[in-house]
Amino acid sequence: MSEFVDLETQDGVRMTWNTFPGTKQEALSCVIPVAAMYTPLKPIPDTPVLPYSPLRCRICRSILNPFSVVDYVAKIWVCPFCFQRNHFPQHYMSISEENLPAELFPQYTTIEYASSPDTGPKMPSVFLFVVDTCLIEEEIMFLKSALSQAIELLPENSLVGLITFGTYVQVHELGFGHMPKSYVFKGSKEITKEQLLEQMCFFAGRPRPNVGVIAGPRDGLSPESIARFLLPASECEFVLNSVLEELPRDPWPVPADQRASRCTSTALSIAASLLGLCVPGSGARIMAFVGGPSTQGSGSIVSKNLSEPIRSHKDLDKGAAALYNKAVKFYEALSKQLVHQGHVLDLFACALDQVGVAELKVVVERTGGIVVLAESFGHSVFKDSLRRIFQSTDYDLGLAFNGVFEVNCSKDVKVQGIIGPCASLEKKGPLCAETVVGQGNTTAWKMCGLDKKTSLCLIFEIARKDGPESISQHTSNQFYFQFLTYYQHSDGQMRLRVTTLSRRWVTGSADVQDLLAGFDQEAAAAVMARLVSLKMEIEVFNNSPDETAYYRMILNRENVANAVVMIQPSLISYSFHSSPEPVLLDVTAIAADRILLLDSYFSVVVFHGASIAQWRNSGYQNQPEHETFAYLLKAPREEADAIMKERFPVPRLVVCDQHGSQARFLLVKLNPSVTYNSNNPPPPGGDILFTDDVSLEVFLDHLQRLAVQ
Amino acid sequence: MESASPFASGPPRQRPAMVSNPTSVVQTPLIGRSMAPSSSVPLPSPFGSALPGFSRPAATPLASRPPPPGAIPQGPIAGNGPRIPGFTAPRTLPPPSVQPAPPSAASSSIRPPTPYASATQDSGLQSYPGSPPSGASVATLPMPFVGPPASQQFGRPPTSQPLFSGPPRSQPPFAGAQYLQRPMAGSTNSQLPLAGPPTSQSPFLGPPTSQPPFTGPPTSQPPRPNTPQPPFAGLPTPQQFGGPSTQTLTGPPISQFVGPPTSQPYAGRSSSPSQMATPSSQPFSMPPTVGTSFGSPVWPSQPGQMVPSLPGNVQAPPRMFGMPPGMPGQPIPPVLPAMGHSALAGPQVSTQSKIDPNQIPRPLPNSSITIFETRQGNQANVPPVCIQSIFVVKDNGNCSPRLMRCTLNQIPCTGDLLSTSSMPFALMVQPLALPHPSDDPIPVVDFGESGPVRCSRCKSYINAFMRFIDHGRTFVCNLCGFTNETPRDYLCNLGPDGRRRDADERLELCKGTVEFVATREYMVRDPMPAVFFFLIDVSLNAIQTGATAAACSAISQSLADLPDGPRTMVGIATFDCSIHFYNLRRASQQPLMLIVPDIHDVYTPLHTDVVVPLTECRQSVEQLLESIPSLFENNKVSDSAFGAAIKAGFLALKPTGGKLLVFQSVLPSVGIGSLSSREAEGRTNASAGDKEAHKLLQPADKTLKTMAIEFAEYQVCVDIFITAQTFVDIASISVVPGTTGGQVYYYYPFSALSDPGKLYNDLRWNLSRPQGFEAVMRVRCSQGLQVQEYAGSFCKRIPTDIDLPAIDCEKTIMVTFKHDDKFQENSECAFQCALLYTTVYGERRIRVINLSLPCTSMLTNLFRTADLDTQFACILKQAASSIPVNSLSQVREQITNLCINILHAYRKFCATVSSSGQLILPEALKLLPLYTLALVKSIGLRNDGRFDDRSYWASHVMSLSISLAVPLVYPRMISIHDLTAKENDGSLSSSNIPLSSEHINDDGIYLLENGEDCLIYVGNMVNPDTLQKLFGVTSVDGLPTQLVLQQFDNDLSEKLSDVMNEIRQQRCSYLRLRLCKKGDPSGMHFMSYMIEDKTAGGLSYVEFLVHVHRQIQTKMA
Repeated sequence: MSEFVDLETQDGVRMTWNTFPGTKQEALSCVIPVAAMYTPLKPIPDTPVLPYSPLRCRICRSILNPFSVVDYVAKIWVCPFCFQRNHFPQHYMSISEENLPAELFPQYTTIEYASSPDTGPKMPSVFLFVVDTCLIEEEIMFLKSALSQAIELLPENSLVGLITFGTYVQVHELGFGHMPKSYVFKGSKEITKEQLLEQMCFFAGRPRPNVGVIAGPRDGLSPESIARFLLPASECEFVLNSVLEELPRDPWPVPADQRASRCTSTALSIAASLLGLCVPGSGARIMAFVGGPSTQGSGSIVSKNLSEPIRSHKDLDKGAAALYNKAVKFYEALSKQLVHQGHVLDLFACALDQVGVAELKVVVERTGGIVVLAESFGHSVFKDSLRRIFQSTDYDLGLAFNGVFEVNCSKDVKVQGIIGPCASLEKKGPLCAETVVGQGNTTAWKMCGLDKKTSLCLIFEIARKDGPESISQHTSNQFYFQFLTYYQHSDGQMRLRVTTLSRRWVTGSADVQDLLAGFDQEAAAAVMARLVSLKMEIEVFNNSPDETAYYRMILNRENVANAVVMIQPSLISYSFHSSPEPVLLDVTAIAADRILLLDSYFSVVVFHGASIAQWRNSGYQNQPEHETFAYLLKAPREEADAIMKERFPVPRLVVCDQHGSQARFLLVKLNPSVTYNSNNPPPPGGDILFTDDVSLEVFLDHLQRLAVQ
Repeated sequence: MESASPFASGPPRQRPAMVSNPTSVVQTPLIGRSMAPSSSVPLPSPFGSALPGFSRPAATPLASRPPPPGAIPQGPIAGNGPRIPGFTAPRTLPPPSVQPAPPSAASSSIRPPTPYASATQDSGLQSYPGSPPSGASVATLPMPFVGPPASQQFGRPPTSQPLFSGPPRSQPPFAGAQYLQRPMAGSTNSQLPLAGPPTSQSPFLGPPTSQPPFTGPPTSQPPRPNTPQPPFAGLPTPQQFGGPSTQTLTGPPISQFVGPPTSQPYAGRSSSPSQMATPSSQPFSMPPTVGTSFGSPVWPSQPGQMVPSLPGNVQAPPRMFGMPPGMPGQPIPPVLPAMGHSALAGPQVSTQSKIDPNQIPRPLPNSSITIFETRQGNQANVPPVCIQSIFVVKDNGNCSPRLMRCTLNQIPCTGDLLSTSSMPFALMVQPLALPHPSDDPIPVVDFGESGPVRCSRCKSYINAFMRFIDHGRTFVCNLCGFTNETPRDYLCNLGPDGRRRDADERLELCKGTVEFVATREYMVRDPMPAVFFFLIDVSLNAIQTGATAAACSAISQSLADLPDGPRTMVGIATFDCSIHFYNLRRASQQPLMLIVPDIHDVYTPLHTDVVVPLTECRQSVEQLLESIPSLFENNKVSDSAFGAAIKAGFLALKPTGGKLLVFQSVLPSVGIGSLSSREAEGRTNASAGDKEAHKLLQPADKTLKTMAIEFAEYQVCVDIFITAQTFVDIASISVVPGTTGGQVYYYYPFSALSDPGKLYNDLRWNLSRPQGFEAVMRVRCSQGLQVQEYAGSFCKRIPTDIDLPAIDCEKTIMVTFKHDDKFQENSECAFQCALLYTTVYGERRIRVINLSLPCTSMLTNLFRTADLDTQFACILKQAASSIPVNSLSQVREQITNLCINILHAYRKFCATVSSSGQLILPEALKLLPLYTLALVKSIGLRNDGRFDDRSYWASHVMSLSISLAVPLVYPRMISIHDLTAKENDGSLSSSNIPLSSEHINDDGIYLLENGEDCLIYVGNMVNPDTLQKLFGVTSVDGLPTQLVLQQFDNDLSEKLSDVMNEIRQQRCSYLRLRLCKKGDPSGMHFMSYMIEDKTAGGLSYVEFLVHVHRQIQTKMA
C-alpha cells in the first residue's frame, strides 16, 4: 500500500488499478473500474515552476514531458501519445543529453509553468459576501463577528463586495463614501444580468454599447462603476465593518405561523450576475452565509407556512417535494452561469434546520466551491473553517481560481467522466468514452474553484477489444496519461500544472498477479464511494437531504486518505498499557481505562473511559506524581488538534466521557458486536450498544452466503 | 360642542406667512429665511384680531410683511381701517393711475352721489348715512347693513333711481342708469375688500380705471370710500329692481356700461355700482374733483367717510341694478346719444370708434368691508361679489358664500327656464375655505355616540331647514321630503312660531354650516396621522439647475410648519433612474440609503423606518436634506423614473395614507408610466394644421390614471412641484394630483436664482394651510334636481360620492345639476354638502354646508340674482375641461357663444323694451363679455402657448377657487413707479389699470399679477432715479432678467414691498416674479396680457362688444 502512497506523493495520483487490465472484457470482469484519484494542486515539494510557456505536440497538443523520446542530434522529440515527431523550436537548440530543460527531467513528471508578466497580469481575487439576515439576534451577532474577523484576514489586494438578503436582496455600494448605500431587489423576482446592468446604473451618463455581451471593463464598463461594488479590501475595510456592525435583522415582520421570507436563490443569482458583469473570467468567489431555508424565489425549498415541513428523503423519493425540482433546475442554470464566468460559490450553511444544501449542491459542486455545514454561526465548525479559508499558515487551503483541467491519454484508453468538483466544458474528442459517468463526454473540465486538496475522480474505460494480437502489435505495453491543470494561483498568477504518468497493460490469466499487485484497495474504496453516491440517491439512513448532500460533496472532493476515513473512521486507543494503537471500530474497544480517539472525518471524538474520567475529575493529572496520566490525557487531544488543523472543513471536536451524553458520537460509529440483547456480556469496563442493528459479523456472514449462492 | 374655530382642530395652526423671501427681507437670496421671525408672528393673529388689524395698517412695518399669508384677509381689512386720521393721509396714493380718465366727468358724477345718498336714506337706511359720516369704526358699519332689509328697499329703488339718473354725472349718460343702480352697489362696497376701499367708492371707481370720473376717486381711496356707502345701505332698494338689473349697452348702453363698469368691476356685485352711486354721493362728490387729480389728497379724506362698508347692502345694490331694464328705458336713451353708441345700435355699423373705451364695463375694486348675512327675513341673501371684496359673514342659516355658492341665487323652477336663460347652473364648493377672521366661526357639534341626526331616507344631515312638525315628534327632510321620527333624545317642543324652542341654541338648527364630530360609524379605521412623504428628483438636470438644492432647502425649512405632535410623520426619497429611500431611524444617526432599482415593479425596501415620526427624527431628516445635493452632485443619470418613484412613495404611504410631495424636473423617461417627448411631434403636427393637436393635452396613456386611482383608494394625495426647463408632459402627469386631491405647481423655466422663494412659500403654504385627509364628500339637493357631475381634483369611484385623499382650503369642487322635476314658485331649493374628513390632528369630522335658495319661474329673477363670479368660474372650468377634447378654436367659439346666448336670452326675454340697436347687459352680468374676452385670450385658449403651459393652466383651473378664477384670466395691473405719490395706506388695489396698452406709458413701471405670476414691466423711459430706488440699478439695460426683488431703504421700495406683500396675502400665493422690458421678448409677453387690446388672434374689447351685439341682433332678427 505504501507504494501507492509514494506514487501519490510524487504526482498526486492514485489509481484503482496501477496495472491495467489489457482489454475491455478484462476490465469489465475486474468490477472495480479503472479510475484515478487526482489532486491537481497537491503540494509537491521541489516541483519547479517554469517561467516560460510549455512546448506542445503539433498534433495532439500534449506537452513535452519526461516520457518523450528526444533525438538530441536532430533536435526532435517524439510525442508519446500520438508518436508525432516535433522539432524543437529555436530557443531549445542548446538541448543535449547533458543540458536538459526541467520538463525533461525524469523526476519531474509533475511540473508547473507560470505565465510571464506579458502573458497575463496578476488578477486580484474577488470575494463577494452574501449574507443572510433572517436570523435571530444571537445568530446575527455570531455571524457579524465571524465576518469581521474574516475581513481582517483578507489579502490586501483582493476585491470585496457585500450582498445581504432576507425578504429583499441588498447589494451594498461600498464605494459610496457619504453614507451607507445599497441597491434593494425584490426577493421574489428573478433578475437577469441585463436587467442588473440597467438597474444598477452601470452606464449612467454614458451611452450603452448596443451590441454584444457586456461584461467587465473590456466591454465598456468603467472601472469606476465597478469599483462601486467591488473594492480592494484595504480600502473598504472600514466601510465594510461599519455596514456589518449595523447590519440589522431582516426588518419585515414574520407571522408566528410562518417562516422568515428568505430569498437565497435571488441573492445568489444577483451575486452571480454582479460578478459576471464586473469581473467575468477572473477568479472570484461568492461566499454565501445562509441561516435557514429559502422560502422565496425560484430556489425556495419550502413554503413560508410552518405547517408544511421541509422535504425529507422520503418526500424526494415519492416525488412529493414540489419545490425541489424547480429549485434544482434553477440552481443548475445558475451553475452554468457561474461556470461560464469562472466563479465559485461557497456555501456556509449554519442552522438547526435544513437550508437547502441539497438543492444548492449542484452549484457548489460544479463550481468547486467550499461547503461548510454547522448548526450555528457560533459553532466552531463554522468559525474555524471560515478563518482557515483566509488564514495564511502552513495549513492554508491554497485557494486557486478559474481552473481548467484537461486530460490526454494514449490510444485505447478513454475517459468516461469525472466525479468531483468540476463542470464539463463539453470539449468532445476521440478520448471520450461512450459511457458517461459524472461530468463526461469531454476532455476538458472547468474548475472554477480548487484548492490544495481538491481531488478529482477520473473514470477510465479500456477500449482495446482483443487481447493477444493487439498486444503483440505494440512493442511496448506502456501507455501514458497527461493531466493539464490551468489555474489562477492564489497570488493572482496564471499557472499550468502538467502531470504525465505512465502505466502498463497486462493481459491474460498469466498476469493476474500483476494485476492484483497493482490494485489499490483504498483508492478503490474512495472511487466506489463516489460512484455509488453518484448513482444512488436513496437508501439514506438517518440524514436529512441537506446532510446527505453535504457529506457527499465533501466526499467528492477529498483525497483517498480522507475518503477512507469518512468511510471507515479510524479509532485509536490510548492507555497505560501500550503506546497509542489503532483498534477495531467495535464496541469492544471501549474500556474504562482507555482513551479512545475517533476520527470520523466530520467529527473527532476524544472518549475517556469511565476510570480515566473519574481520575481526571479527581484532578490526578495535576499532581506531579501522576505526570504520566497528564500525558495520557494530553496525547489524544494533541492528536485531535493535529487532525483538525489539517482538515477542512474543520471537524467537530467532541470530548466526552463513557456513559456521558456526548458519547453517542462515538457509539454511533462502532460496530454493535455487543448489544443489549446479545448473549456475550461486555468485558468489565466495556459498553453495550442499544441498537437492533446487526453487527459486522452478521453482515459478513450474510454477505458470504449471498456470494456463494 | 361648538368651537368657533374654523378648522375644527386646527385653529392653532396659522397659515404660513408667505414670506417673501427675497423681496422684503434683506437676506433675500435665501428662500426660506426671510419668512421666519417677524412675518410669522404677526400673522397668526391676523384673523383673530380683525379689528385690531385696522388700526395697525399704518404701523405694520413693510419689511416684515411677508408673513401675510395667514393674514391675507386682514390685509384688506387693514385698508379699511385707514379711517384714522393719521393714516388717511398716507393712503392717498392709489388714485394716480386713474388720472387719465376725464376729470370733468368725474366731478359731475361725483356729486350726484350725494343726492343718492339722500335718496337712500329715504329708503330707511338712514342709519347708514349717519354712520358713514362718522367715518367711525368699522364696527358701526356692520350694523347699518343689518338694518336695511333688502326686500323693502326694492320697492323704493325705482324711485330713487330717477334721482340717480339725474345725477349721472359726467359719464352721466352711462353712469346714469348704472349709477342709480349702483348707488346700491356703492353701498355694497363689499366688493372691494382687498382692493382697498378706493374701488368701492366706485361710483368713481367703476369708471376709475377707465373713465376719468370714476377713476379718479376710485383708485386711491378705495378703503375709505366705504364710509360713503353707508348711505347706500339704503340701496337695498335696488333689489327691488329685481327684474333685470341689466345695463344696457346699446348705443347709450355704452354709457351705461360706463356706469356699471365702475361698480361692477366686481362681477355680479352690483355693489360696486351701487357703491359708486352712494359713495359718489357723499364721498365721491369729493373725489370727483379729485378725480382729475387722483393723486390729490382729497381722497384720503373721503376714505374716512366712506368707511361705511355695507357688505350686506352691497348685495342689495346689485339687484338694484336689475332695475336697469326699466332704467335703461329712461335714463339710458339719453345717455346713448351722448355715448355715441349709435354704433352699437346699428349692428352692422362698425361703431367701435363711437364707443368710448373708457365707458365700457370693467371690474371695480372695492375696499370696504361689508357684513354679509346669509339670510335675512327668512330669505337667502345674494352673496357679495367676491373679487377683491371684503365681507364678513354672519351665518343665519345659509352657509357662508366662501364655502359654497351657486351660479344662480334663485333656482329656476323648471329645466326649461334654465335652458332658456343659457346660464350655467352649478355650485362651487370650497368646503374648507379660509374664513375672514370676523366671520362667524363654524361650530362643532357633538351628538355623542349616536352621531348626528340624519334623514332616514336620503341620509342628509339635520339642518336649519328641516321642518319639525307634530309637536316636534317628526321632522320633514328639506331635501327629500320624507317625514322622519325625531329621535327620542332629540325631542323638543315647538314654539308658537312653529320652530323648535331650542332652535337657536342648537347650532345645527340655526347655522348654515356646522361640523359634526364623527362617530366610529364614520371610520373604517382610526383617523390617519398626518404623513408627509417628500420625493426629490436628483437626476442630472435637477442637480445642475439647482432644483434639487432648492427643494431640499424648501423642505427643510418647511418642517417647522408641519403639524406638531407625535402623529406627524415624514419620509424622504430621491429618484433618478432608480428610487432612493432613506432609513432615517438608525442607531448611528447616519441615514442609510436604499435604492430600489427595479422601476417596472416597484416596492419599498423597508417595512418600517421609511416614514418616521418627525419629533423623533427631525435632526436626521434635516441632516439628510442638507446632504442630498452633495450626495448627488456628480450624478450623471439624466433619466427620470417619476412614475416608479411616486409608486414607491405611495407604497411607503399605503399603510397610513398621507401626502406625497414630488419635486420633478424632467420628463419622466423610464420605468412605469414613462412618457415620450411628444411635444416635438405635436409642434410639427400643429404647424401642419393638424386638428388633433389638442390630443397632446390628454394623458398619453392610462397608466398614471390607474395608479392615481389606487393612490386615492389608500388616501394618498400627490402634489407635484415641477421645476423644469423643458417639456415634461404635464397633461399626463397632472392626472395624478388631479385624481388624488393634489395639485401641480409649475416653475418654468426654473431659475435657481428667482424661483426658490416661491417654491419654498408654495410648499410651506401647501403644508400648513388648513386641510383635511381621507375625505369623502357628497352634495345632496332637493327633489326636483339631481347632481349631474362633480368637477375638480378628486377620485370618483361611486356615482354619488367623491373621494378626496386630501382637501385643503383652496380646493374648489364644482357640482353641476339638472332638473328632473319642477319646483313650486314659492318653495326653496336646498343644497347640502357633507364632507367627512380627518383633521391634521387626527379628529374625524363631518362638515355639513347648507344652502337654501328660493325658486323662481321668472327669467328676470334669474338674471337679477345671477352670480357672475361663480358663473365665470364655472365657464372657466368647463373651458379647461374641454380643451383636451376639442380644438382651441372650437372651445373659444363655445365660450363666445355661451356669452352671446346668455345675453341674447336676456335681451329677448327681459329687455324687450329696449331699442333693438342697444346692447343690453344684465347688471349682474355686465362684465361677462369682458371676462369672456379675457378667457378667450387666456393662456389656456391661446394658440401660441406651450402645451405644458396649457395643460398646467387646465389642471390649475380645475380646482381653482372662485376668488382666484377671475384674476387668473383678468389680471390686476397697477403702476408702481408712482407708488409713493399715491395717497394710500399701501393697499394697492385701488389703482387698478385697465388691461390695455393705452394705459402703459414708457416712463412707467407696472405690476401685473394674476394670482400665479407677477410681471413687472419697465418702460424704456423710466426715470433712472426710480429704477435706482426700486431695483438698485440706474438704467433699464442694467436690469437683470431674473428678478429678485430687494427692499432698499427708500419709500418707493418699501411701498413696493408692501404692495407685493399685500398681493401675496390676498392670493395666498407668493407669485412668480418676472421682469419685462419694453422692446424685449419679455415685453411682448407682458403685452400679451393686455386683453383689451386688439391682437393678431383676437378682438379688442370694444370690437368684441360690437361682435357680441351683432350676434345678438342677428339672433333677434
